[in-house]
Amino acid sequence: MSPLTRIRRIVGDQRVVLTLLTVGLFLYFGMKNSAFFSTDFVIYPLLRDGAVLTVIGLAQLCALSIGHLNLAVGRMAAVAALAAGASYQYWHLALIPGLLIGLVTGALLGAITGWMIVKSQVNAFIVTLAMDFALLGFVTFIYVTFTGATAAFTTKPAGMEYWRNTSLHQYCIAGHCGPRVFPMMLVPAIIALILVGFMYAKTRMGRELLATGSNLRAAKLSGIPVDRRVIMAHTLSGLLAALAGVMLAFTNGSFTASIGSQFMLPSFLGPVLGGTLLVGGAVQVLGTFIGTMLTLVIRQGLSVQGIGLETLNIALGLVLLTALSLGQIQKMFTSIRMRGRT
Amino acid sequence: MNFKALFRHRATELSLTAIFVLGFLLLVATSHGVLLSRESLQGFLTYLAVPIVIGMAQMVVLAIGQMNLAVGAMGGVSAAIMAVLMADHHYPIWLALLIGFLSATAMGAINGFLVVVTQLNGFIITLGTMTILLGFQYRLVRTFTIDAYPKSLPDFGAKNILGFPLILVIAIATSVILSLFFSRTSTGRRVLATGGNALAARLSGISNGKSVFIAHTLSGALVGIAAIITISSLPGINRSIGGDWMLASFAAPIIGGVLMAGGTVAIYGTVVAAGVVRLVDIARAQYSLDPSIVSLTVGVVVLSTVALSELRRRRSERAREGRKVAA
Repeated sequence: MSPLTRIRRIVGDQRVVLTLLTVGLFLYFGMKNSAFFSTDFVIYPLLRDGAVLTVIGLAQLCALSIGHLNLAVGRMAAVAALAAGASYQYWHLALIPGLLIGLVTGALLGAITGWMIVKSQVNAFIVTLAMDFALLGFVTFIYVTFTGATAAFTTKPAGMEYWRNTSLHQYCIAGHCGPRVFPMMLVPAIIALILVGFMYAKTRMGRELLATGSNLRAAKLSGIPVDRRVIMAHTLSGLLAALAGVMLAFTNGSFTASIGSQFMLPSFLGPVLGGTLLVGGAVQVLGTFIGTMLTLVIRQGLSVQGIGLETLNIALGLVLLTALSLGQIQKMFTSIRMRGRT
Repeated sequence: MNFKALFRHRATELSLTAIFVLGFLLLVATSHGVLLSRESLQGFLTYLAVPIVIGMAQMVVLAIGQMNLAVGAMGGVSAAIMAVLMADHHYPIWLALLIGFLSATAMGAINGFLVVVTQLNGFIITLGTMTILLGFQYRLVRTFTIDAYPKSLPDFGAKNILGFPLILVIAIATSVILSLFFSRTSTGRRVLATGGNALAARLSGISNGKSVFIAHTLSGALVGIAAIITISSLPGINRSIGGDWMLASFAAPIIGGVLMAGGTVAIYGTVVAAGVVRLVDIARAQYSLDPSIVSLTVGVVVLSTVALSELRRRRSERAREGRKVAA
């Protein structure tokens, strides 16, 4: 491979472009207002939010990989946080067992959703939407019934503050301490990135999920148990949504019904900007993280400039639509070039 | 057609009608007849109009196998446009309502255009436009409640025709026109053909892009009507308008039987299902339960409708095969 093609390939990689764009925008916002470079007030919270939203992006990515959508990611996160919060409040569980209860709840919800899609043969978006509606009422109802006016589980398990407020700075090796901007919350997100990335890149399960997503009939004919793979994808989606929900609850310091209510748009923005196809069959695990960080830098950068919520919404919606249209234009150009070649 | 065949074809509509009538009678009995008083009946019927129309706005998009997440945001923005034009710019009522209606239609057309051009699922496009429109809605009304429009508008909203609220009559008339559009015009049938089987539609010379565009534009126009109904029946317009439309817009058509059919519409079913959802709301108020119980009940009903759909499909397939054998 000549150096020129290698450079062209690197520049053509969506992830490199996205990273450059993210870093560029970050520096631009920082130069306009130096408050943006504040470690404690901007960068640390930015990365901490990025960790939560990356995980919810991965939850959506699992559903997208088989060409489905999961509109209930936010509410699955809410139910998982509810289960974890209840286990801390009423059974006084330690941090990890409570987290596990949350994760199992989320995975179970995902499995039920996948099973319903397979059994009813109804479009995934309708089933997950119906799931979302059912869980929406359920979560609020439980919080109001059990905790009355507070509508929140406020018991904090030991160790929650550690995940919430500390950074790698506390760990030192031979006099060198970790960076203060690196939130501990990024650790579970990175573990999730590695595991999901490994699954799609290296395992048979991952390849079968992608095959199911790119062509259901072909996958079925080549002996892949597609029904089980669909259920698997939704189970993973529920599991990751649950992780994101509990992580957000830790960040907020309490378990409330509003957890996950803001997850829908970010869950699509991250993977879609990162290059995951909506139609299934191709995923970009690391791209999800970069895409999420790009949206967060835009959001945070605009709000440091003193721009209100309404303009933020307009900007994020435009980013989503532009990214989608660009992907489509790129595809069109590719097909024209291919046609020219033959 | 004998009674048995009628029941088989209209099972969803008939059972929904039965549920609606029984539920209504049950509520009348447990409220000791309070529900039959003029005011409660009036309130029940008045607030039935918006769910019917937004249910149909969602239904026309579901009919082509897509969804419109922006129903609430489109309604919120167009209602805000109407209110701002009347209160701040002193436009005459008819002109403000017309501009609001046309802008909702235009928003639907933009959705349709984007879906056709990008060839992407309508869901993701409307997720994007919803976010943008919510931003515009907040910009238009900020944190205020706009109610400084001429008194004749709420008077119009409170009018009665033969004892029925005028705005309910408007909603019912809209549904009748929509049903004629789908059953009598070739454009309507082409839209349904696209929803039923896009490939077959294309092979028979139907432009699927045109059908998709028409369905989204129609959805926008229906949202515009819902916004007119909203502004003439509510005391003021603020940023929360449209925020609770999403569940209602999906619940009515899905419960009403649109989902199972695929490529068909169920207008009567949607109207009655909106009535059933409204009954749940009334029951909540009557027994002073928490508002979340409504979304829980409606959500569970929608979920079980989805879950039962395969069962019904199988049964109807078996029935069809049985008939074939008999013939």
